[in-house]
Amino acid sequence: MAIRHVNAVVIGAGAGGGIVAKELSEAGLSVILFERGGWVTHEDHGNDELTAQRSFPLECAFGPDNERYRRVAVDRQGRERVVYPNDWAYHNNAACVGSGTVCYGAMAWRFMEEDFKMRSTYGDVEGSTLEDWPITYADLEPYYEKAEWEIGVAGDDSKNPYAPWRQKPHPMPPFSHNKEARKLEEAAKKIGYHPFSIPMLRNSVPYNNRRACVHVRQCVGFACPVDAKNGTQNTVIPKAIESGNCELKIHCKVAEILTDNRGKVTGISYFDENDRHQTQTADIVILAASATETARLMLNSKSKFFPDGMGNRYDWVGRNLQGHAYCGADGLFSDEVYDGEGPGASVAVCDFNHHNPGIIGGSLLANEFIKLPYAYSQNYRPPGSAGWGKEHKEFQKVNYRRNASIRGPVQEMPNFESRVEVSPEVRDHWGIPVAKISGFRLDEDIKTANFIADKAEKWLKAAGAYQTWKSIPGTGVSGSQHQAGTCRMGNDPQTSVTNKYGQVHGVDNLFVADGSLHVTNGGFNPVLTIMALGYRVSDYIVKEWEHGNRFR
Amino acid sequence: MKWEEKLERLSRGEFLKISMIWTGGFWMYGIPTEPTMTFRVLTDEESEIMDTLADCIIPPDNFAGGKDAGVTNFIDQQIGDNGYLSEDKLMYKTCLPALNKGSISDYGKRFIALKESPRIEYLKKIEAGDYDNQPSGNDWGQFLPSSFFGKMKDQCMMGFYGSPKHGGNKNYISYRMIRF
Repeated sequence: MAIRHVNAVVIGAGAGGGIVAKELSEAGLSVILFERGGWVTHEDHGNDELTAQRSFPLECAFGPDNERYRRVAVDRQGRERVVYPNDWAYHNNAACVGSGTVCYGAMAWRFMEEDFKMRSTYGDVEGSTLEDWPITYADLEPYYEKAEWEIGVAGDDSKNPYAPWRQKPHPMPPFSHNKEARKLEEAAKKIGYHPFSIPMLRNSVPYNNRRACVHVRQCVGFACPVDAKNGTQNTVIPKAIESGNCELKIHCKVAEILTDNRGKVTGISYFDENDRHQTQTADIVILAASATETARLMLNSKSKFFPDGMGNRYDWVGRNLQGHAYCGADGLFSDEVYDGEGPGASVAVCDFNHHNPGIIGGSLLANEFIKLPYAYSQNYRPPGSAGWGKEHKEFQKVNYRRNASIRGPVQEMPNFESRVEVSPEVRDHWGIPVAKISGFRLDEDIKTANFIADKAEKWLKAAGAYQTWKSIPGTGVSGSQHQAGTCRMGNDPQTSVTNKYGQVHGVDNLFVADGSLHVTNGGFNPVLTIMALGYRVSDYIVKEWEHGNRFR
Repeated sequence: MKWEEKLERLSRGEFLKISMIWTGGFWMYGIPTEPTMTFRVLTDEESEIMDTLADCIIPPDNFAGGKDAGVTNFIDQQIGDNGYLSEDKLMYKTCLPALNKGSISDYGKRFIALKESPRIEYLKKIEAGDYDNQPSGNDWGQFLPSSFFGKMKDQCMMGFYGSPKHGGNKNYISYRMIRF
C-alpha cells in the first residue's frame, strides 16, 4: 500500500491541533491529522461520575485507557512508581477527537497583558525560570478574536474592568447566573469586588448551526448531550475534513519524529489502529499532543543531530512543566443555594490576578461548576470532619444543596525541576518509553494560594456563609489538564525550545502548537490561549508557504 | 456445609437470630428468604462482612445505608475480572476475613458479631493504623489494615454515591437523599 507524502502532519486533534489542521488545509496544504483516540459522544458515558473525565475514580471516560497507557511518577524523595491514566499523578488529557475540548468546563479566558511579561512586571523570582513571553498580548490579540468567533465564545468584557483591551466584542451574549451565582454576585459587589459572567466556549444562543445550551449542571467532565459546548471536534476539525485536504487518522499512536542526515524532519512513525508500525512522510510536522506528550515525543526522537531528543540541545525540552495551583474556599449556608441550572460556574472576578501587594501574579476567582455526589463525599468538609459513618452521611444529606465553593487557578512560577522525561525502563503497549514526571511547586505558589484563598473566604462570608474554610494546594508537581510550559517559546535558543512562531530552534520544519509553548500559564484556564497560539502558528506557516518557503 | 443445611440443624433460638441478621433486624417466623443478591466473587461469608462494613461506612437512617443500597454488589461487580477494580480482588478476599477475625483479641468477638459501638471503635483503630504492626505471616498477608480501610471506605462511597450502572446506589437512593 503506497503511502502518499503530505505537506503537513499534525499530531493531536485537540485544542491546538484541530485549529492547525483546518488553517493549513483551507490554505491548500495537504494535511494528515493524527489522533490516538477516536470520536466520542455524550451517549458513550452519559453523566457517569465514576468515569467522568474530570475526576476519573474508576477510569477516564474518554481515555487514555489503563490497558495500554502508563507513565512514571517520581515523588520528592526520588522514588518512582508506575501510574495509570485514572491516577492524578498521571496528569491525563482526554484521548479523543477534540481531546479536552469535548468535555471541559469551557471557560474562555484571554490572558491579561501582564501574563505575557511576568518577569518585567514582577522581577526575578528565586528558584524560578520566570521569563517574559517573546510575544505580547497585542501580538496574540487578533488570534484570540479568531478563536472566539470561529470556535464560539459567549461573554461580555464590559463588566470586567480588568479585562484586556479587544478590537471586537464576543460573538454571543454572556450566560445569565444561576441562583448560587446571583447570590455571590450581590455579595461580591458588597465587598468591592467586580463580578461578571464568565466567558464560555459554549452556545448561549444558537451559533455555528448548533443549538444553544440547555443548562445541565453536570457539564464539566462530560460531553454535551445537545452539542452546545464548543470544541475543535464540532467546529474546525469537520471544516478541515470538508476542505478535502485533510485526512483525520484516528486510533493512531505516533511513536517518533523521523529526520534525515541533515537534521531535517522527514515525517513520523506511528502505530495504526491494528498496531502495525507505519511511516508517514511530510514537509512539516506540527506537534500538538499536550505538554506531556509533545515533550515525550521529542525526547523519544533521538538522532545524530539531537542525541538527547529533538530540539533538546540545551536540556529545555520537558522542563518547566506547569499547571495551576488551585485554591479557594468553601462555605455552608442555612438555606439552599444550589440549583441544577448549568453550566454551573457562572460568576468570576479578576480583581486579584495582578498587582496584589507583596504577591507575584495571582488568579481569577469563580464559583465551582458542580460537586458531584461521590466527589462531595470525599472532600468539601471543614478540617476535622468525619470521613465516614453517621456524621459524614448527615453532612452529605444536609449540606449538599447548602454549600458553595469559590476556586481560582493560581499562576505558578515556572520551575526548571518540574519536568517531563522519558523512562528507560517502562514502556507502553506499543513499546514506546513512557513519560516520567517529577518536580514540585515553589513556595511562592503556596504563598499566592494562601492570599487568594483568603479573598475567596471573604467572598463566601459576605454571601452569608455561616461556616467557611480554605482549600490550599500541596507542593507536588503540577500539570493535569491545564498542563503547559514544556517546550516554551523564546528568542534565546539556549533558554527556550521554539521561537515566537512555535518553530523549534534549529529544526525549521518542526513546530509546536499546544500548551507546551506557554512561558507562563496565566491565572486563568489556558485553553483559549492554546487556541489563539494554534491560529498564530498556522498563520506563520501559511504565510511562509504562500511565499514559497517549504521549510527545507 | 451449605447455609440451608446449617439452618436445619439449629435450635429455634439460633434460627431466629440468623433470620434477624438476614432480614436486617426484624423478627420473622418461618424459614428466612434467600439473600436477594448472589455474588460472583465474594463468598457468602465475605459478603456478610462487606455488608456490615458498608453499613458502618454509610449507616442506615431514614435512608438506606450501604448494605441496602447495594455497596457489596458494587464491590463484587467491580472486583470481578471485567470490573474496574479487578486488581483489588485479592485485597478484599484477604482483608475481609482478616478484619472479621481481627477483633477477637481486643473485643472477644468477630467483627460481624460486635454491637454497633465496639464495631465503630474497632474500625477507627484500624483506620488509625493501630493494627498495622503485625507479625509476619498474619491474616492480612501483604496488605496493611489501614491501607485496606482507606481503599474500602473510598470504594464504599463510590458504590453508594455513584451511578447504579456500576452495581450500587440501588434505585438512585443516594441521589434522592441529597436531592441531586
